Amino acid sequence: MSWLDLFVAMLPEHLLLVGILVLIGIETAWTRPRGALAVSLVAVAAAAAAAAWQSVTGYSATPFAGQFAVDPANALAMAIVLALALPVLLMSRDDFDNGPFYPLLLSSLYGFCLLLSAESFLTLFLGLELMSIPVYVLVLLSFRRPESAEAALKYLVLGGTATAMFLMGVSLLYGGSGSLALEAFAIGLSGGSPMALAAVILVLLSFFLKAAIVPFHAWAPDAYESASIPVTAYMATIIKAGALLAALRLFGTTPIDRPIVDLLALLPLVSIVWGNLTAMRQLSFRRMIAYSSIAHAGYLFYAFLGDGPGRFQAVVFYLLAYGVMNLLAFAALPPADDDAARDRLDNLKGLYQRQPYAAVMIGIAMLSLAGIPPFPGFVAKFLIFRNVIAAGYTAYAVLGLIGSYLGIYFYLRVIQFMFMSPVEGAANGRAYRVLAVSAGFICLAAAIVLSVLPGWVIGFM
Amino acid sequence: MDDALLLNVVLYLPVVGIVLLTLVPAAAEGTIRWVTFWVTVAQLAVTALLYARFNAEIPGLQFASAVPWIADWGVYYRIGLDGYNVLLVLLTAFLGPLVVAGAFTAIRKDVKLFYAMVLLIQFAMLGTFVAQDLFLFYLFWETMLIPMFLIIGIWGGERRIYATLKFVLYTAFGSILMLAAVIYLVLSLNATTGVTSFAFTDLYRSQLSLPVQIALLCAFGLSFAIKVPMVPLHTWLPDAHVEAPTAGSVILAGVLLKMGTYGFMKLGFPLFPDATRALTPAIMTLAVVSIVYGACLALVQNDIKKIIAYSSISHLGYVMLGLVSLDLLGIQGAVIQMVSHGLVAAGLFLMVGMIYERCHTRDLAAYGGLARLLPVYSVFFMVLTLASVGLPTTSGFTGEFLVLLGTFNATWPQFLLGDAYPLIMAASAVTGVVLGALYMLRLAQGFLYGEAKAPHMPLADLGLREKAILASLVIAIFALGLFPDEPMRKTELAAKEFQQLAGTSRTEQVAGAIPTTGAHMSAEPGGIDPMTAAAGRGDRQ
Repeated sequence: MSWLDLFVAMLPEHLLLVGILVLIGIETAWTRPRGALAVSLVAVAAAAAAAAWQSVTGYSATPFAGQFAVDPANALAMAIVLALALPVLLMSRDDFDNGPFYPLLLSSLYGFCLLLSAESFLTLFLGLELMSIPVYVLVLLSFRRPESAEAALKYLVLGGTATAMFLMGVSLLYGGSGSLALEAFAIGLSGGSPMALAAVILVLLSFFLKAAIVPFHAWAPDAYESASIPVTAYMATIIKAGALLAALRLFGTTPIDRPIVDLLALLPLVSIVWGNLTAMRQLSFRRMIAYSSIAHAGYLFYAFLGDGPGRFQAVVFYLLAYGVMNLLAFAALPPADDDAARDRLDNLKGLYQRQPYAAVMIGIAMLSLAGIPPFPGFVAKFLIFRNVIAAGYTAYAVLGLIGSYLGIYFYLRVIQFMFMSPVEGAANGRAYRVLAVSAGFICLAAAIVLSVLPGWVIGFM
Repeated sequence: MDDALLLNVVLYLPVVGIVLLTLVPAAAEGTIRWVTFWVTVAQLAVTALLYARFNAEIPGLQFASAVPWIADWGVYYRIGLDGYNVLLVLLTAFLGPLVVAGAFTAIRKDVKLFYAMVLLIQFAMLGTFVAQDLFLFYLFWETMLIPMFLIIGIWGGERRIYATLKFVLYTAFGSILMLAAVIYLVLSLNATTGVTSFAFTDLYRSQLSLPVQIALLCAFGLSFAIKVPMVPLHTWLPDAHVEAPTAGSVILAGVLLKMGTYGFMKLGFPLFPDATRALTPAIMTLAVVSIVYGACLALVQNDIKKIIAYSSISHLGYVMLGLVSLDLLGIQGAVIQMVSHGLVAAGLFLMVGMIYERCHTRDLAAYGGLARLLPVYSVFFMVLTLASVGLPTTSGFTGEFLVLLGTFNATWPQFLLGDAYPLIMAASAVTGVVLGALYMLRLAQGFLYGEAKAPHMPLADLGLREKAILASLVIAIFALGLFPDEPMRKTELAAKEFQQLAGTSRTEQVAGAIPTTGAHMSAEPGGIDPMTAAAGRGDRQ
């Protein structure tokens, strides 16, 4: 492996690293730092482009044998998720000036890239932690209310628990197989010795915790509510994607059997139902999105019930559709002087009268998240449930679909507030930032492409 | 090729209209109204051309396009006109300009969004009718929810939020189970024949065991029966109708409800023939209960809109009865009845809207003697009432009469074989005609005759716009009543194909033995059971 190969294979990571270093440089060199947003945008866009290029050209390499390997499919997932980070950056101006936000976000993305190419548990662990730790700080960074500290602490402690469970599971696998390679997990999955089974369950539960699956979900609503809008958007899309793609990395195309099937179906099913039911009662937009994301994590883990290569397709397409729509909603959320006011669902009342385009955008996002055609959320959900039924779990699929029905009401309630309620109170005068608007239009364009040409997009996966 | 283009033009004209509307400033309400109106008129013109060029002698699809869409899954963008949908497409396009013109004075709030939603629902309804691929059908089917949700929820009456949520949650529940059934159906087609396709013609070939067919028919049927609506799934309809603005009610009664019966005709029964046969007594019972119970409820309402809403339940019960009879006359009668009800109910809802704009109440007791106050209005109202009752020479008569005739054709042989239940059901359905006359005449009597009273006197009689709207509906009603043979000829091959598909058992047959192109449709359907024997009888008429 020459230096050049090493450079090309890790190009997205390197570009992010350069971005991080430049950002730190800016931060330390100037007393009044400028240009952090531009640097981050360029770095992330370049990294996404590099990953897309790797994927399109079918590049695959193993720069560190047994630890780190690049293949086109994962490069595609990386490109998609890095591209999803662009709107997050674009909508960050309302909440963050220059400062620690940008280097932290890029570090977290760096960790995400690492875990996608991980070949061993060590690299995977490194990636997971590098992805998560900056987020604990990011939650606290917009320290607006006392609850933020509580939420960040909760997130940190529970995140630590997930880490501990993951490590415990890995050590059991290592004890059983003597190997830290990811295949140990697949072998444990099909092997069936009690210790391997315990290890698999521990690792799986740690991912459930990271992805906020009931009953490990309690941190999510608090953390989502306390963080600022861009950080919530980041957690809801990219961190969730990271946890799911890491789990996908472990499961690969290994067929699964009972009792893992039941664990993989029941807890996500409970998440779908519980997330959707609880979301109905929320008064805060971000809490609602948190419960919605709990339900969506349920659908995503459902995809693991499906067979073989379909899993990757289903998970990645779902993450794309779900991420775009979440970001669209966050980007179009009307700005307000006060963060708590911005977050209240009541703030959306009569939005169509004030900001028709924002209302239409949020409406599209909600309908898509609810899985109503013709929006991409429907195709994504269709793909997952098709795989589940194809794998023979018709009953779980029907139950999951009924669970998704429970979610329709609270998404429609948002539309009801925006279109059918009179404007409440005096509309506050803060205008949208151009950057946030452009983030919204980028997501809208992506949503239109995903709705009109889903087959074309799926063809890449 | 240009033929296929024409149908696409019809389908996408509303989308073009929406794009045009976004370019018009929201304050230019007049421009918005006329742009929408002319878009719908253009759509009607092209549809009329398609209807005229639709060749009744050719079985299968005409003006069809098929383009791979989600190639990996075998999903095609597949649309086309056939005998099943040609009349319904014409009906949808015909009601478009009337709905738009009817809302000119009624809708004052968020005008731009309103007309955009009317165009969107027009697009979704036409798409549902012309779709020939199950995925596409489901997509359009669900898309209809969104504009209707907004139309009722934004421009509706007092309890509009409740009504619109009830409507959406009811319909969405049916759709969720239908989605599971769609996936299962396509996967099982793939498992048995190796074909991955969502095309209706391929799905008609699927071989399923009876229990699976019954489960799938129940899943599809729940969704369709909610839309029809059939008792006991009808409770969303009165709320939705009462709270919806006139335009919403017209779309709902005129076209949306036909989605349910169309679904049964195009998908439910032909896809699962054995389940259909097994469940025929249950479906017949529900249809007759809908006819009689809907009529009874209509008889005791005081809200004019509710009377018409419940009458819809009753009238659509006939459609179901005609379809499940599997008799050629019954099937064709069902199709005519769908169109007829679309015209008559649309007219009645428009007329209720017109009086509501003048008097702001729908309470029947508040009115009386309108024949003296509003002579022109009353003439139109009387004509529509009689059409709803099913007076000969109106379209209502053609539809109901053919349905009842077909049902008797189908049930008599069963009676001779010793099964009296279907015949009793058929006989009970006739009471619906009597009850229909009762409730409609009660409405007309209370409304038009007696002591002359109305809130907000004096009243202005119909304006030119309103006269034009109603006159076009009345002309269509008489045209369909007096000359039903032309539309019936265009639907005949499809009706025969439906009879063949829904009447032939598909658990025993070898794959590919079923003619789906309609090329062998004249063949006598096989089978020895009385239902198909009756179907054969109808065939010779």
